[in-house]
Amino acid sequence: MARPKRVLIVDDHPGFRASVRRLLEGQGFEIVGEAADGAQALRCAAEVEVDLILLDIHLPDLDGRDVAGRLGATPDAPAIVLISSRDIDDLDDSVERAGARGFISKAELSGDALAALLR
Amino acid sequence: MIARPRLVSLVGAAGFACGLVLATLLASADFEREQGLWIGLTLVIGWGWVGAGTFAALRRPDNRVGTLMVATGFAFYVMVGERTDVAALFTAGIALESLFAATAVHLLLAFPSGRLRGGLDRALVAAAYVAVTIGGLVPTMFIDPAAVGCHDCPANLLLIEHDLSFAERWFDGLAVVGIAILLATLVLIARRWLRASPPLRRAVTLVFVAGGALMMLLAALLGASLADTSHTVIDVGWYSALVPFGLLPYLFIGSLIRAKMLRGGAVGSLVATIGDTPGPGDLRDALATALGDPSLELAYWLPSSEQYVDAQGRKVVPRARSGRAVHRVELDGVQVAAIVHDATLLDDPELVEAAGGAAALALERERLEAELRAKVEELSASRARMIRFGMAERRRIERDLHDGAQQRLVSLALDLRLARETVRTDPDRADELLGAAADELTEALEELRELARGIHPALLSDRGLAPAIEALARRAPLPVEVDSRLNGGIPEAAELAGYFVVSEALTNVFKYARASRATVTIEERPGEEAARGSLLVAVTDDGVGGASVDGGTGLRGLADRIASLGGRFEVDSPAGRGTTVRARIPLD
Repeated sequence: MARPKRVLIVDDHPGFRASVRRLLEGQGFEIVGEAADGAQALRCAAEVEVDLILLDIHLPDLDGRDVAGRLGATPDAPAIVLISSRDIDDLDDSVERAGARGFISKAELSGDALAALLR
Repeated sequence: MIARPRLVSLVGAAGFACGLVLATLLASADFEREQGLWIGLTLVIGWGWVGAGTFAALRRPDNRVGTLMVATGFAFYVMVGERTDVAALFTAGIALESLFAATAVHLLLAFPSGRLRGGLDRALVAAAYVAVTIGGLVPTMFIDPAAVGCHDCPANLLLIEHDLSFAERWFDGLAVVGIAILLATLVLIARRWLRASPPLRRAVTLVFVAGGALMMLLAALLGASLADTSHTVIDVGWYSALVPFGLLPYLFIGSLIRAKMLRGGAVGSLVATIGDTPGPGDLRDALATALGDPSLELAYWLPSSEQYVDAQGRKVVPRARSGRAVHRVELDGVQVAAIVHDATLLDDPELVEAAGGAAALALERERLEAELRAKVEELSASRARMIRFGMAERRRIERDLHDGAQQRLVSLALDLRLARETVRTDPDRADELLGAAADELTEALEELRELARGIHPALLSDRGLAPAIEALARRAPLPVEVDSRLNGGIPEAAELAGYFVVSEALTNVFKYARASRATVTIEERPGEEAARGSLLVAVTDDGVGGASVDGGTGLRGLADRIASLGGRFEVDSPAGRGTTVRARIPLD
C-alpha cells in the first residue's frame, strides 16, 4: 500500500482546521502540520516534509496566492491546493496563475476532490 | 424737582444775566484801567462759553461737555470779578483767578465723550482743581491790595496779614505745579489726537489746536512770572491766551455738530449701501467704511450651536484685546452679531451704536446666511462621514459573515460529509460528529442573529424601544439598570437612533470602560409650545472614563447619525470618573 500523503493545513480558523483534519484523516491522509497564517506556513513547509499543502487564500498576514508562489518556487515543491470559503466565481484568474495545482471551495473539500486534482 | 432741560435753560439764562451784571459792575469800577476792553471780553468770552455750553447741554444731554463749558463760563466770570469794586467779587476773583484754567483742562481731557478715561486723566484734573482752589486761596490771605499799590481796590475780605514775600514764594511753587499740569495735558491731548480714528481726528483737530495753544500760552505765562519778566510782556501773553480761550467754545460747538453730522452722514451712507451688499463680507466693508475703521471684523451669533462664526461660517471668538473693542448688536433684544473695532472708536461710542443699529437688520440677514453656510458645511461633512460609515459598516458585516457564520457552515459541511462516510463503518464516531455538527449549527445561528440585530433589531420593530433596550441589558455581561419613561408613539427613525446609541455605548462600556455597572435612561420630553419634542437617551457607567467622540470607538458614527436627525450628541467622560453618553433626538 502506498505511503499516505502528508498534508499541511494553512487556515486562520481553528474550527475549520479541525474539521479538515477529521475529514482527511478518515480518508487516509496524514496531517503533518497546521498553520494559522502565511509566515507559519512558510516556516512549517521548510521544516517538515510535505506532499500537499491546503492553503487558504485569505490569510491574516499574507495573500495565499503569494504564499503559493513562494512555496512553489522551491525545488521538490509540494503540491499546493488553494482553498477559500468563497466560490471560484468570486475570485479572479490570479488563482490559476498562482502556481497551485488547483482550487477547491472549502465546503466541497474531500479526499476524492483532492485525489482528482492530484492525479 | 426741575426737569433737566428746564434746569439747563435756567442756568444758561442766569449765565447771560451774570454777564450783564458783571459788565455793569465793571463800568463802575474806577480802579480798572481797561474797563471798556473787559466789558467787551466779559460779554464775548463769558457769553460765548455759557451760550455754547447751554446749547451743547440741551442738544447732547448725555454728554457732560456742555455742562463743563457752562462751568468754564462761570469760572471766567469769577476771574473777571477781580476787576469790579464789589469786595466779595474782588476777593473771590483773586482767590479763584485760575479756576477757568482747571475747567479748561478738565474739558480738553474729557472731550469729546464728556468722560475722563483713565486714572492719569482723573489725577491730572483733580490736581488742577486743588491747585486753583486751595493753591489760590492760601496766598490771598496774605496780600493787602493797598500795600501793593492799589489804593482804589476794594478790601480783601480774606486778608489775615500782609506777607508779600510768603505769597510770592507760594505763587512760584504754584506756577511750577501749574506748568506741569498744563504740559501734561498738552501731551495727553496731542497723543489722543494722534491715535484718533481719521474721521474723529478731523472733527476734533481745531479744538485740540486751540486747546493746545491755550495750554502752551498759560504755561509760558507761568514760566514768565517765575522769571520776573516785565508786566508788559506778561500782559501781552495774557491777552494772547484769551484768544484761543475765547475761541474754544465756538470750536467745541462746531466740533460737536461736525461729529453729529459725521455720524448722520456715516450712518446715512451705510443705510444707503446696505441694500447693495449681496455677498459675504460686503456688509463688513460697508461698516468699515462708515466707521472709518478698515480693520473692522464681524462675527455672527449662532444660537443653535451657541458660538460665533464669520461670514464664511467658520467659528470665531470675538474678544476685546489691546486696541480692539467689541460692540454687540441686538435686534429686538436678541443677540445678532458682534462688531470688533478699533478701540479709538470708543471716543464716539454712539457712532458705533448708531451704525450697528442701522445695520442690525442686514446683520441679521447675513447672520442667517452664515448660519446656513455653517449648517451646510456641517451637513456635507456629516454626509461624507455617513457614507464612509456606511461603507465601513458593510465591510464589517461582510467580514463578520465571512469569519463567523460562513466558517462555521463550511466546517459543518465537512463534518456532515465525514459523518455520512463513517455512519456505516463507525456509527459511534458518526454520532459524535453529528452532535458536534448540531452544536456548530446552533453557534452559526446565534452569530447570524447577532449580526441581524446589528443591522436592524427585530424586537425594536415588533415591540418598541423600551423592550429592545431591556433585551440589550439582559444580554449584557454586567448589571445594566434600565430606566425608561416613554409614552409610545416615537417615530421609527428616532427609535432606531436611540437604540443604536444605547447598543454602541454599552458595547464601549463592555470593551473599554472596565466598569462594574451601567445605567440606561430613556425619556420622552414633550415639546414646549411650537418646539418639537425629543427623545433623551443617556448611558452612564462607573468605569475609567476618557472616552471621546474622536477616539475611534464608534462614537463618531453615533454622533453623525444623531446629527443627521438634527439632534445633539455629547460624551462626558472625565478620566477616572466614569462615562456618560447623552443624545437628544428630535421627534418630528
